[in-house]
Amino acid sequence: MLKMTHLSKAYRTEVVETYALRDFSILVKEGEFVAVTGPSGSGKTTFLTIAGLLEEFTGGEYQLDGANVRGLNDNQRSRLRNEKIGFIFQAFNLIADLNVQDNIDVPLRYRGFNGAERRRRIQDALSRVGLSARARHYPAELSGGQQQRVAIARALAGSPRLLLADEPTGNLDTQMARGVLDLLEELHRDGATIVMVTHDPELALRAQREVHIVDGQVVDLAAQPRMVAAAHAGA
Amino acid sequence: MFSYYVNLALRSLRRNVVLTALMIAAIGVGIGASMTTLTVFRAMSGDPIPQKSHQLFAVQIGNWDPQNRRDYGREPDGLQPQLTYMDSMALMKSHAAARQTAMYVGGFALTPSNPELRPFQIQSRAAYTDFFPMFQVPFRYGAPWAAADDENHADVVVLSAELNDKVFGGANSVGKTLNLDGHDYRVVGVMEHWSPTPKFYDLNNNQFGKAEELYLPFTRAIDAQMPSWGNYNCSGDIGEPGWEGRLRSECVWFQYWAELPSAESAARYRSFLMNYASDLQRAGRFRWLPRTSLRDVREWMDYQQVVTNSARILVLVSFSFLFVCLLNAMGLMLAKIMGRAADIGVRRALGANRYAIFSQCLIEAGVIGLAGGLLGLVLTALGLWGLRVLLSEEVGRLTHMSVTDISIAVALSLTAALLAGLYPTWRAGQVQPAWQLKAQ
Amino acid sequence: MEIRPILSAMRRNKVGAVLIALQMAVTLAILCNGLFIVEQRLSLSSRPSGLDEANVFILTNQWVGNPPDLKARTQADLAALRSLPGVVAATVTNSYPMSGGGSSEAVKLNPDQKEASATTALYLVDEQGLQAMGVKLIAGRNFNADEIPDKAGFDDQVPPTAAIITRVLAGKLFPGQSALGKTIYVQFQKHTVPIVGIVDRLQVPWVEGDSWAADFNDNSTIEPFHYFGGYYHYMIRTQPGQLASVIQAAEKQLYKLNRARVIEKSVPMLEARKIAYKDDRGLAIILVVVCAALLAVTAFGIVGLTSYWVAQRRRQIGIRRALGATRNAIIQYFQTENFMIAISGAAVGVALAVSLNLWMVSSFAMARLQTGYAFVGAAVVLLLGQAAVLWPAIKAASIPPALATRGGA
Repeated sequence: MLKMTHLSKAYRTEVVETYALRDFSILVKEGEFVAVTGPSGSGKTTFLTIAGLLEEFTGGEYQLDGANVRGLNDNQRSRLRNEKIGFIFQAFNLIADLNVQDNIDVPLRYRGFNGAERRRRIQDALSRVGLSARARHYPAELSGGQQQRVAIARALAGSPRLLLADEPTGNLDTQMARGVLDLLEELHRDGATIVMVTHDPELALRAQREVHIVDGQVVDLAAQPRMVAAAHAGA
Repeated sequence: MFSYYVNLALRSLRRNVVLTALMIAAIGVGIGASMTTLTVFRAMSGDPIPQKSHQLFAVQIGNWDPQNRRDYGREPDGLQPQLTYMDSMALMKSHAAARQTAMYVGGFALTPSNPELRPFQIQSRAAYTDFFPMFQVPFRYGAPWAAADDENHADVVVLSAELNDKVFGGANSVGKTLNLDGHDYRVVGVMEHWSPTPKFYDLNNNQFGKAEELYLPFTRAIDAQMPSWGNYNCSGDIGEPGWEGRLRSECVWFQYWAELPSAESAARYRSFLMNYASDLQRAGRFRWLPRTSLRDVREWMDYQQVVTNSARILVLVSFSFLFVCLLNAMGLMLAKIMGRAADIGVRRALGANRYAIFSQCLIEAGVIGLAGGLLGLVLTALGLWGLRVLLSEEVGRLTHMSVTDISIAVALSLTAALLAGLYPTWRAGQVQPAWQLKAQ
Repeated sequence: MEIRPILSAMRRNKVGAVLIALQMAVTLAILCNGLFIVEQRLSLSSRPSGLDEANVFILTNQWVGNPPDLKARTQADLAALRSLPGVVAATVTNSYPMSGGGSSEAVKLNPDQKEASATTALYLVDEQGLQAMGVKLIAGRNFNADEIPDKAGFDDQVPPTAAIITRVLAGKLFPGQSALGKTIYVQFQKHTVPIVGIVDRLQVPWVEGDSWAADFNDNSTIEPFHYFGGYYHYMIRTQPGQLASVIQAAEKQLYKLNRARVIEKSVPMLEARKIAYKDDRGLAIILVVVCAALLAVTAFGIVGLTSYWVAQRRRQIGIRRALGATRNAIIQYFQTENFMIAISGAAVGVALAVSLNLWMVSSFAMARLQTGYAFVGAAVVLLLGQAAVLWPAIKAASIPPALATRGGA
């Protein structure tokens, strides 16, 4: 599903060149639920934006659902994003002007579905996340947990191949966070492929497997058990 | 997608009412100012008779000594815009065009049949009967006088709608009489309201004046010695005294128009004029070869400089004003769009490509353009009313909006809004989804 | 105030700054030229005509038909008018200043001249003419009653016996000398005429802006005639304050004498002035309104864009305040920023104003802009910018320093 080989991403300023990702490789198979962890500044957010085709990368190769991503123009990337990927952001990123169902509608419009198809998908997505009753509410009228669930519904509505979540519970209290994670697990059981970026090791445990990034590179956890143990114990 | 974007635009505009109002106001005020002056300018410079303007020609004959050019002639080529009596009569007699008329403007004192009422003045035009079909004058009652009436110096008149309303209450007055300067004239026709602005058939005497109220045969007016109220210009020799002296002099005071339906007939008339001029030189009336000229309506209006400097200045100033308003709107649109950069980033992340963002922004600009256009139309009407109050009656006749003017206003408004929105739209398209989201 | 950091911060909002500068530049260009035109038109419309305008009115008379006793009728009218209470003097004339209609002709000093020495307007009046006009005689004398022939309408080519010309015309024809006693050739060089008097000032009838007679606006020649015909004007001068009553009495009296006439109008000279200059005054008003609107639009633009920049930099401002900047320092920051934009806008604007003026000089035969206008305009625009930016700057100054710790917008 998601295959990166020897990927690198460099940021060049006038003075210095920094690598956010260096010789980065990862393979996520269809139906997997992978957590990507790492300390602050490790490059996990960069990984996510590249995985989501939000940014270009400098070196290496990235295959999404079998298709090579290098060299695609902006139109093609937008289309891929629209059809294959569902985003779930830490800050929800709902559009405040629009109500719940219009928010979910946004990616469907860019997909080009007709009115009936869009309505069906919105309804399905809303019932999936349990918010059918709130279809006409505005984001400002919802709790944090509800807003995140709307965002998840928006991500699901287009039947994406891959769900990318960036600290999905970062802005939620413990109870709401639990609800969102339950939902993600449910989606995984129903066959979704999920890649979740988080700095919370407890969260990472809920996933199938964990990939740890330090300084832009994957680190083999088994080789550094003390780090993991420390993470589990304190934090 | 179009209605989706319109929907989004309306919501977004409603969200920040003040900003939206400022943008609409910027466009609206700019359109109001520029359309006010443009309406007047178009009325001044537009073709007053588009169906026939290329078939009607003003005749000029250079009967003054070209050596004395410094003494006369504001016209760029030194030719006088009017003709002498002798030349007018000679041209009419030769009947070399499909239709033609010599004419001049003067006036009478009308004594009403009711002795209680005081006599009043009527501005009158002396012309040949061809005048009416040539300039497509519409008639309400009766018809123009016959060619025989011209030959017989008949005392018949055609009334304007306004004069007919004033004297006869608007009724069919054909056959009734009017007393002009002590003599009775019989009414043969009454016109519909007709007052072309500019008064293209007589640009020499008040270019934007009202049309005359009464028309009578040229020959009859000369017999009655109807005084000329127009320009009377002489050079070199003022001629002999008295009315007869006037008719024999080289002073110019008549307008002459010919209708030449095709390019060939126009060419033929040009050579006819050249021959006429050479004949005059041979006959000794002139010591030089007189130049002649034939200009159609549009060329004539150009030549007579119908569009004043003041009009040009006002158009320039108002369009500069529109430009400033456009810059203003651009700044406001930029502020609005960049303030929503986060939303744009989300849409990009969800799969909108640049063109989708462009469309959304441009359509929003278009909605502002339409609203601004409506406001602009209201302000234009207000502006035109202001011109009518501030400026002379002649200019007032130019201050009416036609359907074309209204369409131009809306099109101009849309274009202005889209132009103002170009840069902000481009900036919106540059928003990188990644950066916007990382900054959260 | 440190200029460089402000400049580099502005680079982030390059386009916005350019927009404001451009608006100010165009506003300045239009303001300078517009106000210049206003000043020109207003001074044009306040030129004195030479007449005692407050106390003179014109009564335009048209007889019905062409009766044979026109001379007697005119004389009777004049007698009646002169005997009305409150009337100082009355004359018949062919035309009057600011009327828009009249006669003009070329003047030569000797008949063999190739070109005319000057162009002049002609006023035909009798011995009460000068008094009826209220013009000031500065040399020579008025016409004598015995040197005034009859003139039956314009086509009667009776030779004039004398002429009184204006000071300006005298200076044109006989520079450096006294024109009194000299002769000129008039009426198409058929007659020599001695100059018997010089008046201070008398305008031609055609006075509006862009008039074809602009070159010879003060060249007038007064010739003595008892003028009568089918159409002419009575010029009547009244005692101060009596104008309105005399007008009424005059019309009534004339109609009583003879009803077979049309009194086209009775126009006080002050009214004639208003009519003559209506378009010039109107243009001036329109330009003032547009300039005011321009200033308003530019001001609003500055307020709008600056408010947006303030909102954009909320966090930065909060940080500055947390680091010790006073409210005044914040206000000064924005004022300095605006000033730098305004200066560049003003520089471009002055250049634009001058080039616009040069273009108008060549296309419209306008006069050249005086540099004073450019500087006044620049000052106005700069002040406008500073005033406009004050409100958003004050709002910026009230951003609490606590914002720096909040970490979010």
